[in-house]
Amino acid sequence: MINAKRIAVLSLLLALASAPLVIAQVGYSQRAKEIGTHLKCMCRGCDMSAGLCAHPGGAFSGPCDTAKGMLKEVDQHLAKGENEQQIIDAFVAKYGPTVYVEPPKKGFGLVAWAMPIVYSVVGFAIVIFVVRKWAVRPASAAPAGHPSAASSEALERARAKADRETED
Amino acid sequence: MDVFGSFTLLLAFVCAVYAFAGGIAAIKTRHPLLVKSTRQAGIATCVLIFIATFAVEYLLFTDNFSMGYVVSHSNRDLSTFYKVAALWAGQEGSLLFWSFLLSVYIISVLIAYRNKNGELMPYVGVILAGVQIFFLTLNNFVENPFKTLSIVNASGFLEPFTRQDGNGLNPLLQYPEMVIHPPNLYSGYTGFTIPFAFALAALLARYPGEKWIHLTRKWTMVAWCFQSLGILLGAHWAYAVLGWGGYWGWDPVENASLLPWLTGTAFLHSVMMQEKRGMMKVWNVWLVFCTFLLCILGTFLTRSGVVSSVHAFANSHIGPWFVGFLALILFVCFAAYVKNRDYLKSENMLDSMISRESSFLFNNLLFLIACIAVLSGTLFPVFSEWFTHNRISVGAPFFNKIMIPIGLAILFLTGVGPLLAWRKTSVDSLKRNFGWPLAVGLIGAIAAFFLGYRDGASLLCLFLCAFVFWTIAEEFYRGGKVIAARTGMSLMMGMHELAMRNTRRYGGYVVHFGMVLVFIGLAGSAFNTEAQKAMNIGDSMKLGPYTLVLQSADTKAEKNYTAQRMILEVLKDNKQLMMLYPEKRQFQGTEQAAGTMVAIYSTLRDDLYVVYAGMDPEANVPVIHAFLNPLVKWIWLGGVWVVMGTLLALMPNRRAALGVATVPEASTATVAQTLAPGVTLREGHD
Repeated sequence: MINAKRIAVLSLLLALASAPLVIAQVGYSQRAKEIGTHLKCMCRGCDMSAGLCAHPGGAFSGPCDTAKGMLKEVDQHLAKGENEQQIIDAFVAKYGPTVYVEPPKKGFGLVAWAMPIVYSVVGFAIVIFVVRKWAVRPASAAPAGHPSAASSEALERARAKADRETED
Repeated sequence: MDVFGSFTLLLAFVCAVYAFAGGIAAIKTRHPLLVKSTRQAGIATCVLIFIATFAVEYLLFTDNFSMGYVVSHSNRDLSTFYKVAALWAGQEGSLLFWSFLLSVYIISVLIAYRNKNGELMPYVGVILAGVQIFFLTLNNFVENPFKTLSIVNASGFLEPFTRQDGNGLNPLLQYPEMVIHPPNLYSGYTGFTIPFAFALAALLARYPGEKWIHLTRKWTMVAWCFQSLGILLGAHWAYAVLGWGGYWGWDPVENASLLPWLTGTAFLHSVMMQEKRGMMKVWNVWLVFCTFLLCILGTFLTRSGVVSSVHAFANSHIGPWFVGFLALILFVCFAAYVKNRDYLKSENMLDSMISRESSFLFNNLLFLIACIAVLSGTLFPVFSEWFTHNRISVGAPFFNKIMIPIGLAILFLTGVGPLLAWRKTSVDSLKRNFGWPLAVGLIGAIAAFFLGYRDGASLLCLFLCAFVFWTIAEEFYRGGKVIAARTGMSLMMGMHELAMRNTRRYGGYVVHFGMVLVFIGLAGSAFNTEAQKAMNIGDSMKLGPYTLVLQSADTKAEKNYTAQRMILEVLKDNKQLMMLYPEKRQFQGTEQAAGTMVAIYSTLRDDLYVVYAGMDPEANVPVIHAFLNPLVKWIWLGGVWVVMGTLLALMPNRRAALGVATVPEASTATVAQTLAPGVTLREGHD
């Protein structure tokens, strides 16, 4: 075990010593990385964006080969003078809408964005309606608002039964 | 042992079926012996599940590599600690673990209430047995953990086969937190079964709505506490192990754990409406039903592979079982509600838009919107595939955009709610109560601005945090001062006494304080920075105020893995601060062979988070990935307060030597008049 350890240490140090002294290039530009945050890494293993891919559990905790390839591809598009939207469109044409990190604000993707707004508005409307309804009831419609005598009697019986049969 | 375990599991199934069918007969006939025997069958089911679970652990501990499950999730070199955790590393084992934890709750309920609530308990027993039957069906017939390995021999028959060693445990799970995170989360998921069973039982037995709430209040809090802790531990594990610099990625499995937590939190608040004012009984019953349904849905999402996730259980065939079970529960709940809804009549009356009651309504609305937003976002890829035949991804940026406003609105209500009086709040009291908290909030936001936290949403969040903090502090201070004045105690002792006299209310405030700390931590995420560099020995890298210098590297061989360790010196303002040792671990015999050990230098201001990413494949030099994550530590500190607050809320109230009413006498009288019979007004208001 000790030998194995020594060999491993030596080989690692040797690798470090023999490595070129220049800082290794990451292989893609900062701009590609920024645009990459809007594109999903298509390795289908990490569910992260290409720009932020850290590929948990992979041999290398950084952008995986797929993400790197995508970022280099972004750089190629940038070299052609394309803007961010054109690049994203090119990726969507190649991979389909799965490549979006968040749903596009057009077509069916718009539904995803509209949904929270719709049920927030509906929810608030319902709560305000309920609050107003509950607030006016005692003044205007007190007798109608209460359960009928028979059912309130039944409810009372049920309550007495529940109290008899349970202990806190 | 495998045959023994298999039979135990089968016997548990038989007992559960008896507890279910016999329980229904007991409800019909009311025969005391039948009631007793079905209860005992329920207890026997639980004990048998315990034995089956221990049988799996025994097989793991004895390295029985004739078992498929042991081969897949353990190996000889795996340490004892992680052999325990291997139980929930795979589909079969974790489903059995689900049954195990559910049984812990069920046996506690059956024994604790064995001589109580005689008419209600058979209903509860039947519902609990029904849930157990579902999971035991999966344990026995779909995902049995006791399957043995076999090969086809020369004459064409199957014969048992034993492997020399197993594949080992997923390295990502070989981390101490992974041993406690799943049990916590599962305890949350399973714990909500108890309030569900009582709510449904009370409805079936035609009890008015308030009864089950009294009976299950503490069970709900326990489940909620486990769920909260499970979620936070999961976030911390993701942060400390996965090496991507974050703690929450809106992964479907994370979302699945958040859903019942959101409705459970809504329930813990709306339950007060029912206790204090006899309102919202139908709503509360449905909130508990939904919480339980979301627990089952969460389990389904985690295990069926219907949504893609970084978590492990994907692509299994158990999906249809869960869908069927969900549909069945929904049908039973709906049928019970339609039949007996008359017994849930509420006395819904509000005096004013600006009151504690309306703040609870808005609180519930926001939690529900949050829940639906997370749920619809999680399921959207599936919907989009149905409708357009194209899967549209919904990633973290979407959830952040949607959830930040909702989260801030909830935080705002956390501060506002307790300032509003029950029934009606006058404009004068609003001015009186809001003045200082608003001022402190503003001071907090200005201070944050000058400290460099210049981001709109984060500043608003920090403003609200300071605002909420001050409302909580004032509650404690005012109450504590009154007690101190009446009893001659010091102010601190007065505040302590105050909390002990109404544990639920002040425990709730402590939980709110914990959430304030969590939100401070979340506000920091807008300022995360990172740097990645391939470094030779002696190279340095700058990140914020820190400079990292790669000093050397070493390799250490452990029993189960070999670790490559980078030794980095951290300098701040050119002064040596400390050493950090990020590691990359290479595990033997596992599918996912590599694991990271992140090195974190954590302060209240920021976390210096350093990952050794591995060797650069092209240049063959180590790549160091460093993150500067402001305020993350506040999240974990907040988690501690949340748990402490819940524990305080679970304690019984201490009786006051002197009556201290925090509600003015007059309003107490009016509130008492409108309370439903059977609802007692406690000192103060929750």
